[in-house]
Amino acid sequence: MNGSAPKSTERISDDERNLLRKSVRDFLSKAWPADQAVANSDEGQAVTRLWQAFARQGLAALGSNPAESGLREIVLVFEELGRAACPAPLLGAVAANLTLADQSSNAARALLEDVHNGDAAVALALGAFDGDPAAGHADMHGDALSGRLSFVEDVQAATQLLVFAGPCAAVVAIDAPGLSRQFTPGLAVPALCEITLANVPALNLSVASEVLADVARVARLACAGRALGAAERAFDLAVGHAKVRKQFGQLIGQFQAVQHKLANCLISLDGARLALETAAEARDSGNPDWRVFASSAVAFAGPALRTVSIETHRALGAIGYAEEHEAPRHFRRVHADLARFGGVTRGRAELAEFLLGPVQ
Amino acid sequence: MSQLPAHDLGPAAAAFRQAVRDWLARHWTREQRATHLRKPFKDRGWDVEFSRQMGRDGWIGIGWPKEFGGQGRSATEQIAFITEMANAGAPVQAHSTGESIVAQALFLHGTKAQQDEWLPAIRRGERSFALGYSEPEAGSDLAALRTHAVRDGEHWIVNGQKLWSTGGDKAEYIWLAVRTDPEAKKHAGISVLIVDLRSPGVTIRPSLALYGKTFSAQFYDNVRVPAHHMVGAVNGGWKVITDALAAERIMIGGTRMATIERAFDRLTEYLKTAVIGGKALRNDPVIRDRIGALAADIEVARQFQIRNARLIEAGKVPIHEAAIGKVFASELQERLGQAALDILGSGGLLSENAAGAPLGEMEQLLRHAIMGMIGGGTNEIQRNVIAQRGLDLPR
Repeated sequence: MNGSAPKSTERISDDERNLLRKSVRDFLSKAWPADQAVANSDEGQAVTRLWQAFARQGLAALGSNPAESGLREIVLVFEELGRAACPAPLLGAVAANLTLADQSSNAARALLEDVHNGDAAVALALGAFDGDPAAGHADMHGDALSGRLSFVEDVQAATQLLVFAGPCAAVVAIDAPGLSRQFTPGLAVPALCEITLANVPALNLSVASEVLADVARVARLACAGRALGAAERAFDLAVGHAKVRKQFGQLIGQFQAVQHKLANCLISLDGARLALETAAEARDSGNPDWRVFASSAVAFAGPALRTVSIETHRALGAIGYAEEHEAPRHFRRVHADLARFGGVTRGRAELAEFLLGPVQ
Repeated sequence: MSQLPAHDLGPAAAAFRQAVRDWLARHWTREQRATHLRKPFKDRGWDVEFSRQMGRDGWIGIGWPKEFGGQGRSATEQIAFITEMANAGAPVQAHSTGESIVAQALFLHGTKAQQDEWLPAIRRGERSFALGYSEPEAGSDLAALRTHAVRDGEHWIVNGQKLWSTGGDKAEYIWLAVRTDPEAKKHAGISVLIVDLRSPGVTIRPSLALYGKTFSAQFYDNVRVPAHHMVGAVNGGWKVITDALAAERIMIGGTRMATIERAFDRLTEYLKTAVIGGKALRNDPVIRDRIGALAADIEVARQFQIRNARLIEAGKVPIHEAAIGKVFASELQERLGQAALDILGSGGLLSENAAGAPLGEMEQLLRHAIMGMIGGGTNEIQRNVIAQRGLDLPR
């Protein structure tokens, strides 16, 4: 399988997807309990242990076999990561599975095996395929990789870095000579990282640029799914709160101002979910229009889910404003994921290009 | 056309859509469309002759159960049908209220005699209906209606006033909600009558609504209505009204989406070549961003519509899901109209019949958007439904 639309027919039923969702949710509730998410995120070892448990569940192989997991399943698992505020380094694993599955080199196979066993964790740098022009790029010169890559997630737990250096994918060890890391704290928790590469020895794998672009698109949708899961979980907390919190002698959920706010949130959440599912289903069924639906999904999800996140906080009030509360985890996740890879602006620009043609 | 990719709704819907297009190519020709467009705006959309032609060729009642002479078409196919008719600008309003709302109520609550009397005639395109629901003191709170009917032998005597009936000045009949038990709790004292608008004692006063077509007030002064024109039980009208809403949602939702998509296609098509002040609009990054945002919203509105159709096909009644689709699409229509004004500037203010209007239908689209947000239950009421039925928030 590769990043372009596979010519698969329906293989996984809705019932099976529901079972997958339940099992991932159950697993995460034990492996990454919400009440310890803040403390655990700061501890590199906790993420490594989590990743090993993830692999034992078979989840590190997500995306490697389209008969077992297509884009719908990838998005679903990322939604659950978002719900659980869980920083499992899955993005790099999925990208490696999609990009390297067709590679015959022993090194590529060994890497995938290590990933699937939980012995390796991959951080993903899309470089020139990122969509954000500030994300930098890296280029191969012989067997050495040089460049600067910004906004890379999962570096804390990573053993390897997968770089899209088109038309090739490069893999470097995270502790290789010539590779330096600088963590760049901000809305994203754990922090994103800036990586500088100076003639770093790299495994150079030839992959078509179209494939890399499609895998990058999958990564965008996966992160939009993670934002959806985070926004939805925070929203569930807010709705639950509105049903028990009393002010002025009545439940705040009875106030029409609160009801209409939350109704708007449900519209946004349902819309984002349907748009994402449509894009994922189109790719899984081999429909080339999935790329247009993907642009729609990220263009819609950006403003919609950010608004949900903010309205959620307004419903929770100061109760949800403490960093120890679960809600700020989700606020951070929603905003961090939706701003990456060119974000909303790029999704809209892609749609405009589809409808109006390129700028001349 | 510069459209978003179509959704594959399955081979059956695709084949059916093609059959509709083939029929339209023969019976709603370019010349007929041009003639129709020469009519004043307020008279478009309502064409008794066209309705009869549709009826003769079996295109009315395609979603009706086969036992009532329909084709038993799925919700998805009905939406495809409505979309094709709307895209062609075909005038379906003379029969659409009877076909969707009145017929739906008759299937569920009509007697055999009533079904035999009304359904074949509706299906032939020979009966036109308006809805008589709202009143001066009963808008969102419809059950507060006061127009009343008192039994007198084999007749009901109707007195009162109705408001805002679309097509009320053109239709032959009105689907009238009346109070038949003033002592009962408000939902429990309502009945539904089919009233001939040509009856003595009916006064119809049309007025022009902001979107450019009429709606009507009616005054009922001792109007005698045959007792067998009551549909459903005496005082059982609330259920008759609410049970017919699902059909109304498909019809109105389908028409609204077709309107929005057609207007958006026209706008993007225009933008491909438009030059204002020496600048190609298509290259303007602000315009491109706005178009991209609207495209994403339109895709989501389509998704809501497809979800509603799928729910209906699965034997469920979309309640809060229908409200979500209605709220989102109607407010999207407003956003689209606003965007057109921002993009077209002063030219966007001009109507279709104004000299030099770049896209004359856009200002009408904006005026029309208001109806979508207040008609069929205001968006505020819809949000109450979403909160209380979709999220279980307390009343």
